[in-house]
Amino acid sequence: MTSPARPIRADTAIAAAPVGDRSWKWRRRLAYVLLIGYAILMFVPFAWSIITSFKTLPDSVRMTVVPDPFTLQGWDYAITKLTPPMPVLFLNSAVIAGIVTVTNLVLGSLAGYAFARLRFPGRELLFLVVLATLMIPDQLRLVPVYLILNGIGLTRGLGQYIGVIVVIAISGTSIFLLRQYFLSIPRDLEEAARIDGAGFLTTFLRVMLPLATPALSAVAILTFQGTWNGFFWPLILLQDQSHYTLPIGLLSFRTAGGFATIYPPLMATVVMATLPILILYLFFQRYFVEGIAASGVKG
Amino acid sequence: MTAASRPRTRGALSKGRAEALAGYLFIAVPMVLFLVLNVGSIFYALYISVWKWNLRTGPVTFMGLDNYTKALNDPVFQTAIKNSLYYAVVWVPLTMALGLFLAVIVNQKIRGQTFFRAAYYFPAIASSAAITTLWIFIVAPDGIFNQSRAAFGLNPLFSLLGFSPAQNWIGDQGTALNSIILLNAWTTSGTFMLFYLASLQSISHEVYEAAAVDGANAWQNFWRITFPLLKPGHYFVATVAVIGALQLFDQALIGGGVNGDPNNALMTMVLYLYNAAFHQFNFSFAAAIGIILFAVIFTATLVQRRLFGQAPAW
Repeated sequence: MTSPARPIRADTAIAAAPVGDRSWKWRRRLAYVLLIGYAILMFVPFAWSIITSFKTLPDSVRMTVVPDPFTLQGWDYAITKLTPPMPVLFLNSAVIAGIVTVTNLVLGSLAGYAFARLRFPGRELLFLVVLATLMIPDQLRLVPVYLILNGIGLTRGLGQYIGVIVVIAISGTSIFLLRQYFLSIPRDLEEAARIDGAGFLTTFLRVMLPLATPALSAVAILTFQGTWNGFFWPLILLQDQSHYTLPIGLLSFRTAGGFATIYPPLMATVVMATLPILILYLFFQRYFVEGIAASGVKG
Repeated sequence: MTAASRPRTRGALSKGRAEALAGYLFIAVPMVLFLVLNVGSIFYALYISVWKWNLRTGPVTFMGLDNYTKALNDPVFQTAIKNSLYYAVVWVPLTMALGLFLAVIVNQKIRGQTFFRAAYYFPAIASSAAITTLWIFIVAPDGIFNQSRAAFGLNPLFSLLGFSPAQNWIGDQGTALNSIILLNAWTTSGTFMLFYLASLQSISHEVYEAAAVDGANAWQNFWRITFPLLKPGHYFVATVAVIGALQLFDQALIGGGVNGDPNNALMTMVLYLYNAAFHQFNFSFAAAIGIILFAVIFTATLVQRRLFGQAPAW
C-alpha cells in the first residue's frame, strides 16, 4: 500500500530501451501521431457541444465547425426559459457540492486521523465497518434510506437538501484515503507536540492537518467532482423541481417533450453543467489523477 | 522504584483513556451515519422485503418470499438481468483492454506523458447526465456520427452490417445497449488506465532489462512479462468493473426513460428497481430487488476471486 500522494513516476519505462534500428524513428513518429490523434478524439465531443451551443437550430444539425450565424440564442434560451431554471440548478449543485466537500474534509480527516493514530478498543472492527460501506451497493440502500429520511421529514421542502447531504456527508473513501496519508506521516513531529503538552485536537489541528494538505486537496477535488456530478441520491431524494441539481435537471430536460431535440440550448446546458469541473480539471489535474490512482490502490 | 513509577503508570492509564475518548469522538459522526444508513439499512431492507408495505403506515401484511418469486418470474426483470449481464460481459473486457492499452502506452518514455495521461482521462470528468445527453445528440439519426461516416465514405460498410444512413442508435432496440456500452467504454477507459498505471509502477525495471538481454521485443515483453505480472491489477480492475457494470443505471434511465425504451432494450436491474420504487411505489418489492441485486453482485465478486484472485491488500 502506497501513500495516496505518491505521484505516478514519469521515468518508469516498461518497454526495453530502443535498440538502434532505423525503423525505430519512424515507428516513434507514427506512435506520436496516433497518440495525439486519440487525444484529439477525446476532446471532439465536448468541442462539438460548445460549437453547437452557439449555432441556430437549423445550423445545429450541419457538420460545420464554425457556427453560421454565430448566436447566443441557445445560451439565452438555456439560461432564461427552462423549468427548472438553469441558474437555480447551478446554485443547488454548488451549495450541495460545497457543503458535502466541507463535511467530507472535516469528518474524513478527524476519523482518518483517529483510525491512523489514536488507540481505542474496537478500532480495527470499526475500520472494517468503514471498508464494508464501500462494498454495499447504493441500490440496496435505496428503499431503507428513503423510508428512514421520509419518516423524519427529510424528503420534503428544505429537508430534501438536508436529506441528500446527510446521505453523502461522509464517504468511506474519504476516510480511507486520509487514514492512509496520516499513516505515512512520521510520528516524530506529533510526539514532539504531545511532549509540549498539546491535546489530541491541538496536535491534530496544528501538526497533522497542515502536513496532510496534498491528501486533503485530493479528497476535496474528488468529493466536489463526485457530488457535482452525482446522480443517484439527488434523483431519489430531491423530489421538487426547484430543489434539483444540474444532472437531475438535465434528465428532466431530456424527458420534457420537444426540448430534447432543440440542440443549441440543450448543448448549452451540457456545457454549463460541465464547465466548473472542466476548470477544476485544468488547474488541479494532478489531484484528479493522483486521487483516482490512490483510491485504486485500496484494492 | 515503585513509588516513582506508580504515578507515571496512573498518568499513562488516564492518558490512554483520554486517547480512546478522543478516538471515539473523532469517528462518532461518520460511524453513526454508517451504522444507520449502511449497515442498519441492509437489515431494514431485508425486513421491508418480506412485507406488504405502506409508505405512511409501514408493514401491512406478511408476504414471506412472495416479492422475490414475483420478481424472478417477471419477464421484464429477466430481461433486465439479461441486459445487465450482457452489458457486463461485453463492456468489462472491452474497457479493461482499452484502459490497459492506454496505460502501457502512457507509461512509456514519451514526451508529453502528463498531457496524454490528462487527455485520456478527460472524458471521465463530466457527469453521466451531461455526457449521456451529449452522446445521444452525437449518435442521433441526424447527428455528427452518422454524418461523419457518410463524409468518410463508410456507409457501404455500415449498410453491409445492416445499418441505414440514418440509423437511430439509441432509439433502435438492436443497437441501444451497444451504444451505451461504447459511451461508457469511452468515458471509463481513462479511469481504468489510471488504475493500471498504478499497478504498472510496481513491476520492477530489472525484469525488462533481463528480457532485453535475451533479445525480447516489445510484443513479447508485453505478453510474457507485463500482462502476467499485472495479475493483481487485472483482478482489482475486473472486480471494480463488474460491480460497476451490474449497477448500470444513469445512462439507461437518461437514454431510455423509466421503462428502458425501446422495448426494454435499456432495462437494467437497477432501473427495474428504481421503477418499482418510484413509479409503482411498491417499496417492499423494490427492497427485494435490491437484495437480489446485492446477491448477484456478491456472487460475481466471489466467482472472480475464485477464478483470478487473491485476498485484497488490506
